[in-house]
Amino acid sequence: MAEASKAPDKKEDVSRRRIFSWLASVGLFGSAALAAVSDWLFFKPQVTYGPSARFAIGKPDEFPPGTRISRDVERVCIVREGNRLAAISTTCTHLGCIVGISDTGFSCPCHGSRYDQDGTVTGGPAPKPLPWFKVTLAPNGELEVDKNTQVNPGTYFTV
Amino acid sequence: MRLALAIASFVVLIVHGVVFYNQFFHRWEQHQTAYFEQARSLSKNDAERAELEARSPRVEQTIVTSFGDTHVDRCTTCHMAADDPRFAGHAEPLKAHPYSAAMGDVQRNGRWERRHKFSDFGCTVCHGGQGRGLENVYSHGEDEFWPEPMLGYVTQATWRKDFTPHLKGKEYMEANCAQCHTAEDFAGTPHVNRGRKLFYAMNCYGCHKIDGMSEGTLGPDLTEVGHKFKIDYLWESIVEPRANLATSFMPKFNLNDADVESLVIFLKSRRGVNFAETTLDRYKAHIANVAVVIPPGTAGEKAGEQLIADRACTACHKLRDKDGGIAPDLSYEGLIRDNAWMMDHFKNPRSRVPDSIMPTFRFPEEDFTRISSYLQTLKAPPPPAATAAAAYKELCERCHGEKGDGNGKVAWYIDPSPRDFTKAGFMNSKPRDRFVASIQNGVGGTSMPPWKNVLKDEQINGVLTYVLTTFTKEPQREVKPHKVPQQNPVASNKESIARGEGIFLERCTGCHGRKADGKGPNSLDILPHPRNLRNSWFVDTVPDNRLFDSILYGVQGTAMPSWIDYGLTQENVGDLVNFIRSINPKTARSQYARN
Amino acid sequence: MSTATQEPKTKSPGMWGALRQIPADIWSSVFRNPLPSNDLERSSTSFTNFFLHIHPVKVHKNTLRPIYTLGLGLMSLFLFLILVVTGILLMFYYVPSTTQAYDRMLDLRGTVAFGIFLRNMHRWSAHGMVAMVFLHMCRVFLTGAYKKPREFNWVIGVVLLLVTLFLSFTGYLLPWDQLAFWAITVGTAIAGYAPFVGKQMQFVLLGDTTVGQEALLRFYVLHVAVLPVVLVLLIAIHFWRIRKDGGLSRPEAAPGPLVKVRMELQKKVYGLQGFVRGPFTKIGNVPDESVYSWPNLLMAELLVLVLTVSAILVVSLLFNAPLEQPVNVMHPPNPAKAPWYFLGLQEMVSYSAFWGGIGVPTIFVLLLLAAPYIDRSPKGVGKWFARERLLANTIFLTLAVVNVIFIIIGTFFRGPNWTFVSPF
Repeated sequence: MAEASKAPDKKEDVSRRRIFSWLASVGLFGSAALAAVSDWLFFKPQVTYGPSARFAIGKPDEFPPGTRISRDVERVCIVREGNRLAAISTTCTHLGCIVGISDTGFSCPCHGSRYDQDGTVTGGPAPKPLPWFKVTLAPNGELEVDKNTQVNPGTYFTV
Repeated sequence: MRLALAIASFVVLIVHGVVFYNQFFHRWEQHQTAYFEQARSLSKNDAERAELEARSPRVEQTIVTSFGDTHVDRCTTCHMAADDPRFAGHAEPLKAHPYSAAMGDVQRNGRWERRHKFSDFGCTVCHGGQGRGLENVYSHGEDEFWPEPMLGYVTQATWRKDFTPHLKGKEYMEANCAQCHTAEDFAGTPHVNRGRKLFYAMNCYGCHKIDGMSEGTLGPDLTEVGHKFKIDYLWESIVEPRANLATSFMPKFNLNDADVESLVIFLKSRRGVNFAETTLDRYKAHIANVAVVIPPGTAGEKAGEQLIADRACTACHKLRDKDGGIAPDLSYEGLIRDNAWMMDHFKNPRSRVPDSIMPTFRFPEEDFTRISSYLQTLKAPPPPAATAAAAYKELCERCHGEKGDGNGKVAWYIDPSPRDFTKAGFMNSKPRDRFVASIQNGVGGTSMPPWKNVLKDEQINGVLTYVLTTFTKEPQREVKPHKVPQQNPVASNKESIARGEGIFLERCTGCHGRKADGKGPNSLDILPHPRNLRNSWFVDTVPDNRLFDSILYGVQGTAMPSWIDYGLTQENVGDLVNFIRSINPKTARSQYARN
Repeated sequence: MSTATQEPKTKSPGMWGALRQIPADIWSSVFRNPLPSNDLERSSTSFTNFFLHIHPVKVHKNTLRPIYTLGLGLMSLFLFLILVVTGILLMFYYVPSTTQAYDRMLDLRGTVAFGIFLRNMHRWSAHGMVAMVFLHMCRVFLTGAYKKPREFNWVIGVVLLLVTLFLSFTGYLLPWDQLAFWAITVGTAIAGYAPFVGKQMQFVLLGDTTVGQEALLRFYVLHVAVLPVVLVLLIAIHFWRIRKDGGLSRPEAAPGPLVKVRMELQKKVYGLQGFVRGPFTKIGNVPDESVYSWPNLLMAELLVLVLTVSAILVVSLLFNAPLEQPVNVMHPPNPAKAPWYFLGLQEMVSYSAFWGGIGVPTIFVLLLLAAPYIDRSPKGVGKWFARERLLANTIFLTLAVVNVIFIIIGTFFRGPNWTFVSPF
């Protein structure tokens, strides 16, 4: 391009150069674009080493009717009433403390939020009820909780 | 130039494209897609089907923290159906892991339950392989650099081809079971149990250490051997000890394949701290194995001969046609050594031959008695050899060598080394009587035994003549006796010994060592090696006049110089002799090694 | 943007026209010049762009002769840039811990998108950079380019070679596999042979008596922070000195006819106010052997860049960086070898620990550093294998070739127990 003024009579040569320059920039910018997309893929972890969002909690027999067990590692409370089972989050919807199980439901030690047994807010600063997570039965006969999928409060898994 | 630029740019673009493309077409994604599809056709309700429809391939993993370091097993990324009983009949990789009562799985209400839950144990703890790998070559451990290929399934490209047929089959997985199930009679690990017994029965423990089980120091420590070495390497090391280390002097035990297999599996299970094994457990095993070192039923019933076979004595020693090629011949032991010598030697091999490399074995007393009484029965002298050469070949060649150069088959393992007859300087400087005496009575504290009960005097003379004419070659000259006192003229007392020690430290330690054990800094370069002056059995057989002669006038054919040329007087030598005698006390000699 | 849309209302061309003008305004605010079409603009482009103004506006034609420089210095720089980029990316997934480092390598191979490819690029670029810097040094010596006034730049160059070696050496440990562990064990042991300070140096370098967690952490910090900063600083000085010392070396100009060069626009001598001490930038009274940096030099540089990148990419696609067994402290491989660029040293160490490991290399480095001050004859600059420099070139080539031979022996001809083996 730049030498154009020096060789005005070699039109063909100039256009050849233009084509090459154009091809080169296609190659380089194309690579740059691919590299940029690749970087995004590179930065997005394919595996994480923290607690898994989808985890097995055991066989249904391990939770006799009337159970309310808080699993602090996974931050869920497993509730069984009759042959119905549910997993309620124990992460306070206010600022993320772990709520404790009380006689009337759940209560948060940090700022005094209180929930009833279904996780509905009954007092304190909590803005939202505790979410319920989906419970399924895996092929090997164990219950699986998927914290990625919320279900409507009151949706039980029937054993 | 722009053409070049354009071409190079496109090379860059193409490589980018290829790499980018590869990123999206992993084998495991295909396996997962296949699993989703098949599971969908197997599932019974719509909700499950919809859920499977929505799932997209991703890396699945189990993080196991129960066993020391954190294991990350991504095996289920491909083997998605491992815990899905519906896939029991499918082909790998989408095959359900079988249930097995032998592994502790139980059936309740018609459903199997696993004893070893995959979420708790992962996969590689039992199967081996590389949990983090996502391509077959890595995850199955086919990569030559991964020390633990999937046991029983995979052989690595670098493995020796002639071993690979032996190294397949699931029983090798026992080695991984035994990481936790260390009980000696654990039913699931028959090979490991057998291998453990063999480890004691074949005397491996004499040379090798396994933390808490044995204390041998001659061979490498095997405490973490299963962690460090691949299974083919272990096999090779047992079958051909010198294949990996040319200088190894581990004997070839000539075990049959079944025994090698058991030993290999046992060794593979030793990984330092085994998960379920507490220090107390190992201490208990140690006590148990100290007390009962032989497989039950052998002690007290089998004769010494059987014990020699069972205890693999012939892995090193020679007995008739069995020859380990490391240690002396036992065929005429009854004529050579007495019972006391043998018992001392068994309990501590270094009590009679202070530089012996034989390990101390912890057999029960009655075994030693039995072996020694058996060896005492070996009193049949060899059939009289037709010629002196034949006698030499039969009795002497094993140590002194075919060429008489002291480089026989077992010479490397014997300390002090057998005499080199080709060194005419030495052979011609000593009177014939001395050689005769050495053959007749042996040389104390060394592996040279007394032959007087094996060979008649004229045979001894014949062999000696043969040696002198064939190997030494130079004709014997008349030895001119040096002027040395018969008895040490200097009285032995504290001052004399102290003076002698001073001279020794000044003049002698370069070869004979600061401990007077013949292991001075120069000793390795000198042949024959300098004498161990703490070898009491030897020193006591040497009279004063010989010590005087050797020190003052040197030993021809060796590195020992004639110290009279370096200014030592008779009095100095007297002090030295007193010093040497003082470190070889006459009492309490046979009990302890003095190295 | 919103303020920009308000503005045009007060002006005449109408809002639509002004809106259309916005991209061009932004462009020109960033890039002050259009693509140049005349010499003034060519000068201006080089001058006003942050990234381009490291170049002079015009360079001597000799600079552009590929056969003269072979582009080796540039290649070294571009390899370094590749190393910086890939290295920073790899840092996102690396943990300098003895329990995790190797696992992270396995993750790069398995679960990190493009992880293995980046590792390959980083590894091969590192080897390439060591080789290129060495070749660049050979080029500079054999063309006599270190002579006055460029003596000090040569010294910086030698230091750059040493820093490059050390940078590569520190990076060698990070995968924490058998290759890394024993190469560093051997390499630092060589350092331990230095008189007086050797043992202390080894101790400080490893932070312990043996290679372990402390050594890994120290090598990591040296590798990702300390040494790169030192290297960047030295490179900056190196480049700055090239210009201050009058551009790349070249043969003494033949006294040609004095040609007055007419600039296209003579109104102003733009921006060339004697910045550069060298003779050729003075306009108007020397024969003009120079050409504009834009586009001649830049195009050449771009070509070298693209060639370097494509070579590394292709190599990385074809060959995986080695990853051997996880560290086994009790079981060294036989033979345990240092990184290849130290194998010449290791070979020499096998003859004499002190002379091979410290004596000879120190003398060699001192000779290199002192070369421009010893060889003071101004002749033979700017020509490959100039006849006037026969002695110097012969000595240098001999030493370089001996070094290369030692490296080849150490790499290919040494087997277990460092015995001589044939690779064939």
